[in-house]
Amino acid sequence: MAGPDGLLFEGLTVVELATDPGGEIVGKILAELGADVVKVEPPEGSPTRAVGPYAHGRADADHSLNFWFYDHNKRSVVLDLTTAEGKADLHRLLAGADVCITTFRPPEARALGLEAADLRKASPRLIVVSITPFGLDGPWADWQSSDLVGLALGSPLNSCGYDDHTIPPIRPGGDQGYQSAASFGQMGLMLALLHRDETGEGQLVDIAMHDCLAVGAELANPYWFYPGVLVHRQTCRHAQPTPTQPAIFQCGDDRYVYFVMFVADQKQWPVLLDWMQSKDLAVDLDDPAYLDAAHRQANFDHIQEVVEVFFLLQTADEAYLEGQARNLPIGVVNHPDDLLDDAHLQARGFFVEVEHDDVPPALYPGVPFRFSAFGSAPLTRAPKLGEHTAEVLEAARSGASERSR
Amino acid sequence: MQDAPALDRSIRPRRGPLAGIRVADFCWMGVGSVATRLLADFGAEVIKIEDRIRIDTPRRLPIYKGEPARNFGEERLDADPDRGGLFNNYCRNKLGVTINMRTKHGRELAERLIARSSVVSENFAPGVMERWGLTYERLRELSPSVIYARMSGYGHSGPHAEFRSYGPVVQAVSGLSAISGLPGREPSGWGLSYMDNQAAYYNSTAILMAIYRRNRTGEGTEIDVSAVEAGINLLGPTMLDVTVNGRSTKRPDFPTGNRLEWPHAAPHGVYPALGEDRWIAIAVFDDDQWTGLVGALGKPGWTDDPRFASQEERYAHQDELDTHLGEWTAGRDPVETTELLQSHGVPAGTVQNAQDLNERDPQVAHREVFFEMDHPVIGEARFEGTPIHFDHLGQDNWRSGPLLGEDNEYVFKQIVGVSDEEYDELQAEGVL
Repeated sequence: MAGPDGLLFEGLTVVELATDPGGEIVGKILAELGADVVKVEPPEGSPTRAVGPYAHGRADADHSLNFWFYDHNKRSVVLDLTTAEGKADLHRLLAGADVCITTFRPPEARALGLEAADLRKASPRLIVVSITPFGLDGPWADWQSSDLVGLALGSPLNSCGYDDHTIPPIRPGGDQGYQSAASFGQMGLMLALLHRDETGEGQLVDIAMHDCLAVGAELANPYWFYPGVLVHRQTCRHAQPTPTQPAIFQCGDDRYVYFVMFVADQKQWPVLLDWMQSKDLAVDLDDPAYLDAAHRQANFDHIQEVVEVFFLLQTADEAYLEGQARNLPIGVVNHPDDLLDDAHLQARGFFVEVEHDDVPPALYPGVPFRFSAFGSAPLTRAPKLGEHTAEVLEAARSGASERSR
Repeated sequence: MQDAPALDRSIRPRRGPLAGIRVADFCWMGVGSVATRLLADFGAEVIKIEDRIRIDTPRRLPIYKGEPARNFGEERLDADPDRGGLFNNYCRNKLGVTINMRTKHGRELAERLIARSSVVSENFAPGVMERWGLTYERLRELSPSVIYARMSGYGHSGPHAEFRSYGPVVQAVSGLSAISGLPGREPSGWGLSYMDNQAAYYNSTAILMAIYRRNRTGEGTEIDVSAVEAGINLLGPTMLDVTVNGRSTKRPDFPTGNRLEWPHAAPHGVYPALGEDRWIAIAVFDDDQWTGLVGALGKPGWTDDPRFASQEERYAHQDELDTHLGEWTAGRDPVETTELLQSHGVPAGTVQNAQDLNERDPQVAHREVFFEMDHPVIGEARFEGTPIHFDHLGQDNWRSGPLLGEDNEYVFKQIVGVSDEEYDELQAEGVL
């Protein structure tokens, strides 16, 4: 794409009161695209600094990789929001801000006197994005949650796990409950910004992780809305009303590929057969009887066995690249380690090196939004606790006296 | 006997922050349809362009009202495209037209529609739009400040740009599947096309960002969002453990199932409950929550065990802890257990299914997460709302999903300016 020019959120000021990834991700994306995101933390640091893993085992507030991942490109300001002085500083920051991101649950917000509606009053143009487990109202609004509990109540967890139902549903990795809430927070914020540009009016955006996950299980709700059936979890493939064949195949190098055989599909079969024949591994599947979809369906178990052996006799990357070359939708089950060697990601310059003070530079995933007309900011390391307190408060205090003049 | 009043399908001006934005929407499948759904929900005039020969998959998936369920993958080729429930859920609030892009007149008609649109969206394999001549350069000639939103599995550059993918392939390739499962066995991954949803959200966001920018500069942009790259951004801090610490995830104790490596929560798991395949998730992060749990349990003797005396001790003895807790949960109704634990300040929740969400969940009901609209073929149906609450904005639901080609006459005559005679010719030629 053509050379990008300028940053999307240049000049946008954001105050982040987030204490979990749901809000932090929204702040991160804004910061990556050029916003000035000031993360307000208590004196002991954001609770997300107390979550490992840690860089080179250094278990302190400035070396949490959890914090590095969700908070890079931001500035850190320490304010004690339980004190009048801390609140006054916060309100000075909010008065000059465009956006405030908060994750305080209603009882926490009440205790601090910082409910979303109060924050909203800081300025008529302020957009407050509140991202909480259950939203700001309703019978569960004060309940506690977590990524696991959120995924359970919201229902995606019901679709994830193994064929063996003596094993409980298994949580997909990577904070996806929070990620889902953050995605709607981001979309809500963008709609609120567009509305503000048109009307000058601020907004309260109230996101409940529970609501987001309740619409986040793909086919489960439509299967209930229409035929009125439930889906049941299966190993690493779609939960369905009734069981289907396995879709991950182990390869010779102990890695896996994901591949769904649609045996009823008349187009896919000859492609798969030709691929197997090219390696002399079709066994008896070249029997013309298998050209008939009904015969394939009747002998699915045998086909599955032959295909399992076929994949076992090659590496996962061989199967992935050759299958894709044959236009089959097959995926290699990459580990995070494997991504660093991926030729495609390298060609797109996806991972980018980020400098740190006291550890060597390290690769971070790049910004997943690419625009021809504008760019993203260079990635910079997460701030140390309170690294920007003095400069930010000084600017806010002088800004406030400017405004009062 | 009186006929039921005809369903009002009339087209009205849209409300919301995107009112006035017209989208020529070539998107299809789940990921594309979800991405432009948000735009339609908040006032954009999204014109979904379909092909009568290659029917959009959600129209064909066998999710029908009043019929026994079939697994998807078992669709009937002769299925009525207007009965698909998934399509209705994905395409409500959009207009629907048909254009045969294999014909010269079809491509000309598409260009005329693009000339009257300010956003063009597509999620075909790279190369398809180019084959129709619809490059960004051409689009700018037709609509100078156009936003061209291109959504694909791998992005529009790089050696794998043309690889075929759908949600589960993206989940596998981006690492999301491998980080999910019990240690020492195959990954459990995902039981849904999670990345169809998440890539769609990233694409919706990217379009809104481009509109925000265009409102300031007057300039459009081409957008390239790769679902795999979005997926890698969702891996979380595990990715940095690899790149900063050089710690491989290919090790016998990874992934960690329902347990957390960080923070040291314990108990942290999914426990059996009363009923067939019913479960409850419980997560204890600190001493206060542990004290709440012990109180909810009625302070049984085992909770005094010194192995459970601190969060670190509990984390080190999760097997024993899980056995005790699982014995307690197993004979109890999960909904009652959830309420009991929450009343003691313990994060806990039933593993709810779609029936629970729709029929029992008071929070979903209070927040009006789902809504109903009528449809001429399907009848009254439920929809998943866009779960964003505002104090000054709202979702604008004006119509259920379009019938195949339902809005051809309105869009081509009123918006594009096709004359009655030409319209009849296009129909006769099989362009529509």
